[in-house]
Amino acid sequence: MPTFGSFALLLALVLCAYNLIAGAIALRQMAVGRGAQYAPERLAETARRAGIASFIAVTAAAFALVWCSFTNDFSVAYILHHSNRALPGAYKFSALWSGQEGSLLLWAWLLAAYGFVLRARHKVDVKLTAYASTILAGIQVFFVLLLNFAAPPFALVQGAVPTDGFGLNPLLQYPEMVIHPPMLYLGYVGFSVPFAFALGALMMRYPGEKWIHITRRWTMVTWLFLTCGIFLGAHWAYSVLGWGGYWGWDPVENASLMPWLTGTAFLHSVMMQEKRGMMKTWNVWLIFTTFLLTLLGTDLTRSGLVSSVHAFAQSSIGDWFHAFMFLVLAVCLYTYFRQRDHLQVEHHLESLVSRESSFLFNNLVLLAACFTILWGTLFPIISEYVQGSKVTVGAPFYNRVALPIGLFLLFLTGIGPVLAWRSTSLKSIRRNFILPTIVGLVTAIVLMILGIHPWQDQGTFYSLVAFSLAAMVTTAIFSEFLRGARVIQRHTGKNIVASMLQLTHRNTRRYGGYIVHLGVVIILIGIAGAAFNQSKEQEMGYHDTMTLGPYRLVCQSYTQDSNANYDSEYALLDVYKGNQFIGRMAPERRFYHASEQTSTMVANHSTLERDLYVVYEGRSQETDKPIIKVFINPLVAWIWIGVMVIVFGTLVALTPNLEAAMVARRGGHSPGVIAADSKASHAAGGGQG
Amino acid sequence: MTLAACAALLIGIFAYVFYVPRAAEEQHQKTRLEFLRERKDVVYENLRDLNFEYSAGKYLEEEYLAQRALLENEAAEMLAEMETLESMKDTDSTIA
Repeated sequence: MPTFGSFALLLALVLCAYNLIAGAIALRQMAVGRGAQYAPERLAETARRAGIASFIAVTAAAFALVWCSFTNDFSVAYILHHSNRALPGAYKFSALWSGQEGSLLLWAWLLAAYGFVLRARHKVDVKLTAYASTILAGIQVFFVLLLNFAAPPFALVQGAVPTDGFGLNPLLQYPEMVIHPPMLYLGYVGFSVPFAFALGALMMRYPGEKWIHITRRWTMVTWLFLTCGIFLGAHWAYSVLGWGGYWGWDPVENASLMPWLTGTAFLHSVMMQEKRGMMKTWNVWLIFTTFLLTLLGTDLTRSGLVSSVHAFAQSSIGDWFHAFMFLVLAVCLYTYFRQRDHLQVEHHLESLVSRESSFLFNNLVLLAACFTILWGTLFPIISEYVQGSKVTVGAPFYNRVALPIGLFLLFLTGIGPVLAWRSTSLKSIRRNFILPTIVGLVTAIVLMILGIHPWQDQGTFYSLVAFSLAAMVTTAIFSEFLRGARVIQRHTGKNIVASMLQLTHRNTRRYGGYIVHLGVVIILIGIAGAAFNQSKEQEMGYHDTMTLGPYRLVCQSYTQDSNANYDSEYALLDVYKGNQFIGRMAPERRFYHASEQTSTMVANHSTLERDLYVVYEGRSQETDKPIIKVFINPLVAWIWIGVMVIVFGTLVALTPNLEAAMVARRGGHSPGVIAADSKASHAAGGGQG
Repeated sequence: MTLAACAALLIGIFAYVFYVPRAAEEQHQKTRLEFLRERKDVVYENLRDLNFEYSAGKYLEEEYLAQRALLENEAAEMLAEMETLESMKDTDSTIA
């Protein structure tokens, strides 16, 4: 099987290289109008087919590696280092992306899969897809080159083959780790497609904005995967690392957040290009930057460039990545300077108080956040280069910048949708903002009465602002739904709920977007709860009690257990709220035999109000009693609920529009635009009046 | 066994890539007319949105009328150019 896997990878390299070279030659021949003697269309078709076939070849390689993992083929060095006989089946499968070589193979496989779909759906626009396919093939060549020469997953063990493997990193032996990396990679890799279309459209001077329409679903799906990947990672960190938090501003966490920020900015600003032909240069550079940041993210995760809790795989592939990023940047710059006259805008910003300007501010704020995070992440490298010593930037730096930026974004989320395109008058602003503003102010006053005093400390101040803004934005979103639903109600006589459903179905992109905004609001409420976190650490023997907040924990017993994969120590704690028994919790610490490493299994009792988060820290050397650390983390559950709302909202936005289908059935005309038709006929001199 | 699997993969892929039907998909250059048709759809969609949002009470009447006039003018210019291009196309085909 290793030989078959290696062969499949070599074949994939040949196919991707053929796609790149033959595709480029065919496009060049067609662009200059030569090549009638050997039909460049047929050459382009073979290139497309080679791209499709590369998916089969990379799939064969991935299958071979998974097969090696399940059959405990420890002659393959990668399997030896990332699996062992006692490893449960799901983790044997996840061994595919647990190390350097495997995760690069996953990258290449997902890229080939995206490429397969893109090339199979080439009829949406044959020429533009041919450009995108060729660019994608260039990216594929890089990753398959890495797999063949820099990080081969099928490298064989030298000398005698051990009877058992060294096992999987214990931190990775957690259910979410089976889906978190593929989700994140689906997000990272997916941005290659809008990047390839954007670059292709610029290279061929594609007239119009249809490339955005073609890539809209790609971008949304990719963004959704990245969002899920980031929050699954946060949930994993919360459940496994045992420090009581979900986001530690680790360089690799930051690396996933940066393309998410620029991708979010892109999703918003392309609407301006689609609707008004604005911000063309900006959008092209946003997607270029997003793609470069996904490469940087993979580089940081895989090269060990910066020290991180994610140092699961470290190697010397950094140089390859730096060279590739440099090459991508050079191609983007060259294409941009050659074709920049093609990016002339059709309209300019007419007013600072308009939907367009809210998008622009949203973009600027997201980019400011991205730059801050990039600066903090790369600061150790920059400081080492300048001063000779690594200076690491900690969470306080990020929090100081990210919190106000996040709150300003929340504010923009509320005001953007109620502003009109082109310009909004002061009178209109007053009319549309009065209710959300009142609700926001009332929330602030009620919270202060309830004891949240902003003058206590900075955290409480930010929390109060966040809760008030959340109330304001939620009101703005609901009034948008209500306003629209009332119009539907007037026309159809349906009840308000049915009208809201029809409204959403009528313009899924817009109202799905509002649901996503609501999800973001819910997440920020959850994050704001962090200002009220509490924790306590204590040794707990039999029947010892610990009290924190409203909870009382009583240690019933502590013991040890063992199975083929790991030994474990855990405590059984009865939890009471007042005198009411809530349940029994069992925080655990495991020692994995194969890797000889320990890991924490947190016990968490989660409610909408707060999480009771209990960690087994180990045994006291003096008393041999377990050391138990307890955290009370308010509102954390809101974060995971918010993510689910975002997923739902994005799925709604991905659903086809009812109105578009109805308009298509009516023959492309809608009652509201007849005036334009008649006016146009007059202008053309052939109108009927 | 491994050799047979490698050979099967190679032959299958080789046949798929290079056995291309005679009539390969033509790569067509988008015309100005097609571009204008796309833009027209966008302007119509903007008009529909504007009408709906006005009915929802989001715009003041004067804002609505001003925006509607701008969009209608944009659509009118586009339709005029489309008609000119279409008539030129018809003339070309008649001459041919």
